[in-house]
Amino acid sequence: MKKRNAVHRLVWWQSLGLLLLGLLVIWGTAHDARLYREPVMKVQTATTIGVRHEKDDFDNRDQQVTQRLTGVILNGADRGQTVTVSNTYSMSQALDRDYRPGSQLFLTLHRQDGKLHATVKDSKRDVSLAFLVWLTFVLLILLMRFSGLMAFLSVVINALLFIAAIRLNGSTQGAGVLWIFGSLAVIFAGVALWIVIGLNRQMLMTWVATLGGTVLSVVVALVVFKLTKERGMYYESMQYVTQLPRPLFLAETMVGSLGAVMDESTDIISSLYGLKRERPDLSARQIFLSGRNIGKSIMGPLINVLFFIFVADTFAMALLYLKNGNSWQYTYQMNMSLGVIQSLISGIGIVLAVPIASWLASRFIKERD
Amino acid sequence: MTTTMALGIVLFVLMMLVGGRAGVRAFIGLLLNFGVLFFAIVLVAFHFPPLTVTLVTAVIVLALTIFLSADDDLSSTVAFLASLAVLAILVLLIIPVEQWAQVQGFGPEDSEDLEGMSLLIGIPFIKVAMATAILSTLGAIAEAAMAISSGLNEILEQHPKVSEQGLMREGMAIGRQIMGTTFNTLFFGFFGGFLALFVWFSSVHYTFGEILNDKIFVAQVLMVLFAMVSVILVVPATTWIMARFVRYRRRHDLPVSGDLTQADHERLQQEALANRKK
Repeated sequence: MKKRNAVHRLVWWQSLGLLLLGLLVIWGTAHDARLYREPVMKVQTATTIGVRHEKDDFDNRDQQVTQRLTGVILNGADRGQTVTVSNTYSMSQALDRDYRPGSQLFLTLHRQDGKLHATVKDSKRDVSLAFLVWLTFVLLILLMRFSGLMAFLSVVINALLFIAAIRLNGSTQGAGVLWIFGSLAVIFAGVALWIVIGLNRQMLMTWVATLGGTVLSVVVALVVFKLTKERGMYYESMQYVTQLPRPLFLAETMVGSLGAVMDESTDIISSLYGLKRERPDLSARQIFLSGRNIGKSIMGPLINVLFFIFVADTFAMALLYLKNGNSWQYTYQMNMSLGVIQSLISGIGIVLAVPIASWLASRFIKERD
Repeated sequence: MTTTMALGIVLFVLMMLVGGRAGVRAFIGLLLNFGVLFFAIVLVAFHFPPLTVTLVTAVIVLALTIFLSADDDLSSTVAFLASLAVLAILVLLIIPVEQWAQVQGFGPEDSEDLEGMSLLIGIPFIKVAMATAILSTLGAIAEAAMAISSGLNEILEQHPKVSEQGLMREGMAIGRQIMGTTFNTLFFGFFGGFLALFVWFSSVHYTFGEILNDKIFVAQVLMVLFAMVSVILVVPATTWIMARFVRYRRRHDLPVSGDLTQADHERLQQEALANRKK
């Protein structure tokens, strides 16, 4: 009973600590304007000064609202000064937004005849971002404890590796994007599996299965590209492209599917280890078949995970295409076709990981491990 | 033949070879999901309310994904109910956070793609952003719910006498096992697909502060975090619902795992009738 009370008290203190951390994070990011070089303004009053009704060539009706915002500058040389800016927003708010008292935003300042003029640049979003990071962290620690911390750590390390890879890609002008991200995929998978499984035979098998599935899916994709002469692939529809699109697309697909292929291989191999522990007399063939059975029930949902990530993102742009008088087909081609191709290639990798992981397990599983 | 079609055929054949009938069903589920998603976008373009369309779409998608790839009734029913519960919580989280973060529509990096387009389409993009966030987490919710419920079903098969507390513990243990790999799936899935954007940030030399406040970046990170939160919440939700089902089945002397037989159903109906007569 005493022990139980102690545990309860620990949980209570921990929750209190996490709550205080949250308040600190939100208060801190709400008052971090001085860390920014761009001037930040906090809106004090917002008054609407005009509404204009608009109709475009495609008969879409909207409104343009102009508002006058008065606020204080929170950082830099002009800290404490009050400025007034005008802001125009539409009802759709595709590129603009309305501001209310209390919102913080970035400004562009310029002086003319000694007077301060300002225009709205963009809103400050770090508080909401920090809030959600904190919330995720709290749920992870409270519900998942140590494993949660490890999962968080693995994401942080992978994010750092990701940044390093992007830097490296930038310094080579994108010439070797596929090679950089290909070799990074090897390291990514190694690090993630090391954290999740530990350094042992099981991790090594999972690693090989992950890389096998990923590499094979890229090879299959390249063969199909060659045979179909890339008909119906609209690289020009790729977003944010600053270098050669084709290798970049393949790198995106490879990195995008890596996690899911790893997920599939980990599930299969760790379940087969459990099975072998319970029934050491299982033959290699039986292990292979059980692996296939486990794999086939999870591959569908896993492909779906990536499909929704890749395709849901195109919602806003596809909607804009449709409202600008484009056909369904053209909207699909320009927005969703590459995402669908990415999902298909990833799906091939996920499915191929099933026989690879099952075969590896059937050959190399050892009872004492 | 287009590349999409050829890749689709390759995937179909592979899924059939590896998964047999379950593979074919999963492939059909994928096709249907695409159809539902596209239809949802078209409906929003016809000025149907975005959030209502999204919620209906979400329920259909969850049902398709879960019931088309599960093997038994108990785990699929539990997984479906749990994912609906998590979806409800998630919607309550997504709406205020998206409102707060203001990441709707497009960013300055999109300007080249937006050339010559009319942005004044009269549909609030903030609702579209909420819809996108909800839709992008659906796959993850369904996958995690199924992993937990089928794992628990297996435990019930092997140890039919496991206590409710024992079951809760087991559910959380399965959750801890899948958490690490699921997070990796989500991380790579979201950021791999946006490699080009990160290359852009690095080649145009964005400062750290600019990236942290960039509309597209924040939108993307929020979506990863929503997906992670939903996966974390799925674990206790699925376990709790499974425990309720087991309690019900034990009270009515039914087998605790797997499907009920025809005889079980008939007996349940008779019991219900008898209760009503009382």
